[in-house]
Formats: sequence, structure tokens, C-alpha cells
Amino acid sequence: MTPLPSPSEEQDRLLEEASHIVKTQSLQMKRCLDSDKLMDALKHASTMLSELRTSLLSPKNYYELYMAVTDELRQLELYLVDEFQRGRKVPDLYELVQYAGNIVPRLYLLITVALVYIKTNSSLKRDLLKDLVEMCRGVQHPLRGLFLRNYLLQCTRNVLPDTPEDEGDQAEGTVRDSVDFILMNFAEMNKLWVRMQHQGHSRDKERREREREELRILVGTNLVRLSELDSITRDKYKKLVLPGILEQVVSCRDAIAQEYLMECIIQVFPDEFHLATLTAFLKSCAELQAGVNVKNILIALIDRLSLYAQKNKEFNSLFETFSEQVASIVQSRIDMPAEDIVALQVSLINLALKCYPDKVDYIDKILQTTVETFQKLNIERVEYNTPVSRELMRLLKIFIDQYNNILTVIQLTYFAPLMELFDFYGRKSVSAYLITNALNNDTLVPTSESVDSILTIVSSLVQDQDDQPAEEEDPEDFAEEQGLLGRLVHQFKSDVPDQQYLILSTARKHFQAGGKKRIKHTLPPLVFQAYQLATQFSALREEDEMWSKKCSKIFRFCHQIILSLIKAELAELPLRLFLQGAMTIGSIDFENHETISYEFISQALSLYEEEISESKCQLAAITLLVGTFEKMSCFGEENAEPIRTQSALAASKLFKKPDQCSGVCTCSHLFWSGKNSQGEEIRDGKRVLECLKKGVRIASQCMDMSVQVQLFIELLNHYIYYFEKKNEHITVAMLNQLIGKIRDELANLESNEETEQISKHFTNTLFHLRNRQEGPPVDGISYEGLTL
Amino acid sequence: MLVLVLGDLHIPHRTSGLPAKFKKLLVPGRIQHILCTGNLVTKETFDYLKTLASDVHVVRGDFDEGTSYPEKKVVTVGQFRIGLCHGHDIIPWGDPEALALLQRQLDVDILISGHTHKFEAYEHENKFYINPGSATGAFNPLEPKVNPSFVLMDIQSSNVVTYVYQLIADEVTVERIDYKKS
Repeated sequence: MTPLPSPSEEQDRLLEEASHIVKTQSLQMKRCLDSDKLMDALKHASTMLSELRTSLLSPKNYYELYMAVTDELRQLELYLVDEFQRGRKVPDLYELVQYAGNIVPRLYLLITVALVYIKTNSSLKRDLLKDLVEMCRGVQHPLRGLFLRNYLLQCTRNVLPDTPEDEGDQAEGTVRDSVDFILMNFAEMNKLWVRMQHQGHSRDKERREREREELRILVGTNLVRLSELDSITRDKYKKLVLPGILEQVVSCRDAIAQEYLMECIIQVFPDEFHLATLTAFLKSCAELQAGVNVKNILIALIDRLSLYAQKNKEFNSLFETFSEQVASIVQSRIDMPAEDIVALQVSLINLALKCYPDKVDYIDKILQTTVETFQKLNIERVEYNTPVSRELMRLLKIFIDQYNNILTVIQLTYFAPLMELFDFYGRKSVSAYLITNALNNDTLVPTSESVDSILTIVSSLVQDQDDQPAEEEDPEDFAEEQGLLGRLVHQFKSDVPDQQYLILSTARKHFQAGGKKRIKHTLPPLVFQAYQLATQFSALREEDEMWSKKCSKIFRFCHQIILSLIKAELAELPLRLFLQGAMTIGSIDFENHETISYEFISQALSLYEEEISESKCQLAAITLLVGTFEKMSCFGEENAEPIRTQSALAASKLFKKPDQCSGVCTCSHLFWSGKNSQGEEIRDGKRVLECLKKGVRIASQCMDMSVQVQLFIELLNHYIYYFEKKNEHITVAMLNQLIGKIRDELANLESNEETEQISKHFTNTLFHLRNRQEGPPVDGISYEGLTL
Repeated sequence: MLVLVLGDLHIPHRTSGLPAKFKKLLVPGRIQHILCTGNLVTKETFDYLKTLASDVHVVRGDFDEGTSYPEKKVVTVGQFRIGLCHGHDIIPWGDPEALALLQRQLDVDILISGHTHKFEAYEHENKFYINPGSATGAFNPLEPKVNPSFVLMDIQSSNVVTYVYQLIADEVTVERIDYKKS
């Protein structure tokens, strides 16, 4: 038993059979033509053409057969033209072919012969064209009809009259006749094409639609032909051509046809024609079937015309026309998805930005329309990462990127309401995008009002939101987006210091509402900006007699901010901010600066005492405090002394012995290079020595010998440091004693990598001393008696 | 061998970012090592450095809270032992004699430190000291005007050529300093 052939095998077989017949018949036709037996030749031609009567072939295979047949038909046409031109009468050939038995071969022959007539005697052109396009109505089978009419279109391609109406010869016809001819052919072809949709079983719908897609170019060719007629003016297009096409498109009520043909119109006709007929075209768009993707049609048109209008600036009303028509189309199509409506607005924005870059109000109008659209659709919140939200995001990003200026963006009245449409994640995403744009373009925000607007718009980053999900965000992502806000603070910048103060106050109000987890990211930048502002006021003391009071005010402002960070259970950060503040205050001699600076330092000390408990952090904090204080010279003795003593005491009370030792060494500097209120180093050699001695005592208490030796070497270096700074209380004998001690202990350490490092430190220290001892004297320091 | 030395960026505390003109100069693929004196403040800044070179060494600055960077580090490049520390715990800050104490302890040929936001490069007792300043020109209460700066070291066996990039009045200036290991 042979298996049943598959549908495609069956198709191949059918095509092969038909092609074989075409080959044989055409061969015989050509033989007859060679021996001038015209009637016989016509008979073979007719038999060959009869193959096109089949209903069994798929559109693709039918097309192949059609190509083969019409190719052979050219031979007949060439022969006939040749005969006519040689003056040989072929009487009533036109009549003669009408006797062909079947309508399909008859019409193909008729078209072929008519073309020969037209070519040899153009006075018949007008009537023959009319005749042919009418007669083709005889074939109503969609596939056969479409190809027959395509043949008609192909044959008449070069003979269509293309002279203006008032100039042409009546018999030869004018462009008007060509338009009528093509419009009729177009209408008939479109009807056949649409009818395909309704033939056969409904389960084959998908296949049928695919086949229709394959055939659409046949229908579209009519429009291409129309666009090729040079005598069609803009006026004629508007009054005659386009209404004819649109009438057929709208009335066919077929979505596939409508969508294709509308896009075809946009493609084939020139921009000037579209501009002249915009309203009519867009009105028709509103009348299209529900299944038509009007959005794509409109976007194609808008994109095409915005390119044109960008080059030709005279089209002032383009935006208005489009936005009105788009609105009415949206209104007429209640089923249009929200993302499609937004996509249309995106297209309008592109048009506005390309053609009218200065018209910010156009953008605002589009935003307004978009906001109102969502109101009408009763959509209050758009979920993140849905098609609508993605389109909306695209809409916003387009003009954010175009303006590259956050100040222009916040001028748009409807930007904020539009932001409100997004859900929490959407708002955060837009906010981050907006801030990144400001940072990348280094946009400065020069007024407190603008700062207020911006921080309101990006409030999803600034403070908790009603629609915020309960679960904690990823800490890294959170830190990153808060970091963006922090960076943004430095873009808040006015040249006018008073305005700058307002800016910082405004920003603070917003950030303060951000709660514990945010303020540690957002407030420090404000504090540093405020410190800088104070130095600015200080520089303006000649011009602003209030400068001193303003500085006080700024530091009170900073004081409050830092206290709020302490309330948020932070310690390390506020301590550092206080120390930075103390130094800033110390460098500006405004009224009361000593008192305020003292307050900042003592706040730092209290934080150290009350909040910092880990021993490593304690050592770091006390070191930082000493380092800061060592640089400051704003304190009188009555303020400085308690801080020095307090620091030294704190250092000696550190938990671990090695930390105590490092701590007291560090504190020794307060008594040497620490400054009085005249800025002079106090150089209290005695107390320096006390510190170092205390260090030696503490080091001696260390049980771990390796650590002890290490500490001794560090102490030795400190002794040397002060010795070379000419502290008279440090003597060569002390150095000798320490060196001897280290030598003894070092010899007892077991040899390992750590010991090696320690002895290297010691060697380096001795090397330094030797260099000094042997080299030329520096600062008149005598190393006499030093035993190395 | 190109080594980028920079630090005290203080983003976002004191500034919004690296100057655009520096960003343009710092392109991935040219630098082999990065030595950073700290105060990156955030992870993004570290991630940014990682895009410039895969070998990034960072020590902890006084504003690098909650990070695990070490206080001090020694890195060997070519024939050089290079010590790296932020410098806020070397008192008095920026004092050459005090820094020399650390050089002796770490036993290094080059000591890199920061914190003062002021570029320095000098030889002291045959050792080389570099402070790259602040790459962002971050505010410092003790420096009335901070110019953004960083350093590029070209290390060839026992030679190091140091290029100092500074942004002065919005123009990048480059200065060259040679050091040879004795």
C-alpha cells in the first residue's frame, strides 16, 4: 500500500503537471507562430491558459504557474506587434479571441490582444482600457480574479495615459482615465481579496489569513501604479485619488485589508500629499475596524512627517492636527489598550521634539492628554514592568533625554501628575533616571523652589510611600539609590549665599522626613554643603555685615542635623561630622566661634564616651579627636586644657594595653604641636615626656613579649621624634636605655615572620639614627653618647 | 607598569562625583594596579575603580564606615615595596617626620598617604612619599581651596616616574617627578 501523499507533495505534483502542459502547449504555439498559423497558435495559447482555471493550487504555486504562463504569452504579444507593424491585417482579432471557450483564457487573450491594439493604434486606448477593466469582472473567483487583474495591471503599465485632463486627446485619454481605471481595478481586486477571508471552513482561518498576507502585494500594486502617475497633482490627489482609495478601504470593513492599505498609502505617496490630506486620512483612521492596529498606522505617519517637517519648517499646525485627530481616534476606539494610547503619545512627543524643540507647552499638552486618558480609563496606578508602564517610561525618558535639564522637566505642569500614575517601583525608577540625568549633565539647581519641586517629584526615594511594599529592600540597592540623592545635594547650588541657605533648609525638610534608614545617606551631604556655605559667608564679611550671625545660624542648623543622626542611633558618623564642623568653625573667626566649636568638640567627646564601645572603634575615635584638636587654634587655655586632659585620660583608659600605649603616644602630640589661641605650638616638653613614660609603663605590662617589643620600638620612634624636634626633656640616655631594652628582648623572641618584621622595624630605626649621627648635623641636634 | 594612586573621593558626602575631565582620562585597560588611600565612602565608587583595573587596593579612610578595608597595606610592584595608608591616624596629619615613622615600621620604599586633600610628592631620607590629594577636590576645613588631583606612577624595575594630574581652573595640568631606588 502506498502512503497518501502529504499536502505539499500533492501541491508539487499538481504544479508539475500543469507546468508540463504549459511547456508543451507553448512549444506548439511557438511552432504555429513560426509557420504563421495564427489561429492554431491561439488555440494552443488558449489551452495553455486554461491551466490557470485550476482551484487546486496554493497561492504560492498558482503564482509560479501564472509567471510561467504569462512569460510564454509574451511570445504571442511580440508576434502580434510585429505583424501589425508590418502592416499585415489581422482582421477582427479582438473579436476573434472572444470566441475562446472559457472566460479565463478568453480574458487573458483579450488583454494581450488589446495591448497590441493600443500599442499600434493609440486612438483606441481610452475605450479599450475601460472595456477591459469592466470585462475582468467576469472572473469572480478570488485567486483567479486577482491574478487576472494583476496581468491587466502589468500589461497596461507603460500605456496608461498620463497627460493632464485639460491637455489630453479625448480618444487617447488623460490621467483622469488612468485614475478611474486603476481605482476600479483596485476596488475589484480588494473585494476579491477580502472575499478570500470568507471562503472555506472556519478552522482554516489562520492558513487563509497567511495566504492573504502573501497576496496583499497584488492589491497594493494598484496604489503604487497611482503614485507613478506624474500628472496627479496634490490637488487631484486630495479631491480624486485619496477619497477613492479611502472609500474602498473604509467600506470593505476588513481589518487585514485596512491595516495593510493604510500603511501602503503612507509609504507610496509623497510627504506633500500627506500633509495636504492629513485630516481626511486621520478621520478615516477613526472609522477603521476594531481589529486594526491604528496605533502602528498613526506612528508610521507621524514618524514620516516629523522627519519631513523637521526639514521644512513651515508646517505650523502639524502638531495641532495630529494631537486633535489622535485624540478623536482614541476616543472612537474604546477598546484600544492603554499602552497603545501611550505609544501614540510617544509618537506625538517625538514629533513635537523634532519639529518644535522650543515648544515646552506641546510636551505639557501631551502629558496632560496622557494623564486624562488614564483618568477616563479609571486607571489610578500602573504596575511596574507591564506594557503600559514600559510605554509610559519611554514617554518620559524621551524628553528627559532630549532636554537634559531637570529644571525644564520640572516646569512641566503635568509631569508630577504623570509620575503619580506609576506604582512605587515605577516612581523610583523614573526618579533615579531623572537624578542620574541631572548628575550626568551637571545641572545646577539654583533656587529653593526648584529644589522643593525636584524633591517632591522624586519623593519615592526621599521618604516612605503609602504604597510601599512591606518587605525590606535589598540593602545594596537601597544604599545605591540613596547615594544618588546624596550626590544630587551637591547640584543644589546658588551663587547667592542667602539663597543657598534657603536651598539647604528646604532640602533638609524633605530629607528629615526620610526616617532613620535614609538620613545617614542624605543628611551628611547637607552638613558638608553647610560647612562650605559658612566659609563662603566668611569670605564675604566686607560686603555682608550680618556674616557673623549667619555663620552662627548655619552651625546651629548643622548641630541640629547631626543631633538628628544621633537620634537615629548613629555614633561614628555624627562624631566625625562634629569634628569636621569643629575644624570648620575653628577656621572662621565669627563671634562666639570658640564656644560653638567647643560645643562641637565636646559633643564628639560625649559620643565617644557614651556610644562607642568597641575597643578598635574607640582607639580610632580618640585618634581622630586628637588629630583634629592638634590642628585647631581657636581655643583659649581654659577650653583647651580640659580637652587635652580629657583626651589623655580617655586614651589611658582604653580597654587593651597596646591600644592604651598607642593612645597615649598619640596624645603626646597635643602637648607639643597642639596650638594656643595665637596659633603657636605649645611645646610642653614635660607633659610630652609624661605621656611617653606612661606609654613605656603600659608597654612593660604587656604579657605578650612580641607585642611588648613592638610597642617599645614604636615608643623609641616617638622618643626620637621629639628628640629631633628638640624637646629638651628627651635625652640621649633615654634613647640608649630603650634601645638596650629592645635589643635584650628581641634576642629572646622566637624567630618567625613576625619577629623578622619587628627587627626590621628596629633596624630601620637604628639606621635612621646612624645616618643622623654620622651625617652632617641637622638643626644643631647632637647625637653624642648615642650607642647604636 | 602603570599604577593609579588616588583617594579621598568623599562621594556622596562632599561632592557629586569625579570631575568629567578626569573620568575621560581614566579609561579601562591601561592601568594595571590601583592604590587608593580611602574615603571612597560608598561601594559604587569602589565598583567604579574595579572597572578601571582588576587589581584594586584600598585602605580605610575616616569616612569609610562599615567597610572591611585594612588600615594599612604593603603592596610590591616591580622592585618597590609600597606602603599605603589613609593618614588620619598619623599625627600630626601630613607631617613628614611622623610619616617617616610609619615608613620605618612598614619597611617600604614608597609611602602613600592621603587625608590632607593636598597633593605632595617628595623624597625624604632616600624614601619616596606621595599624597595624591583628593581626586574629587573634596571640601576640607583646613584647606581653603582644594584642587582635584590624582597620581599615575609608571614603574619600571627600580625607576618610578610619577605623573601628577591636577584640575586647576577647569584645566588638567600634568607634572612629572622622577624617583630612582638607591
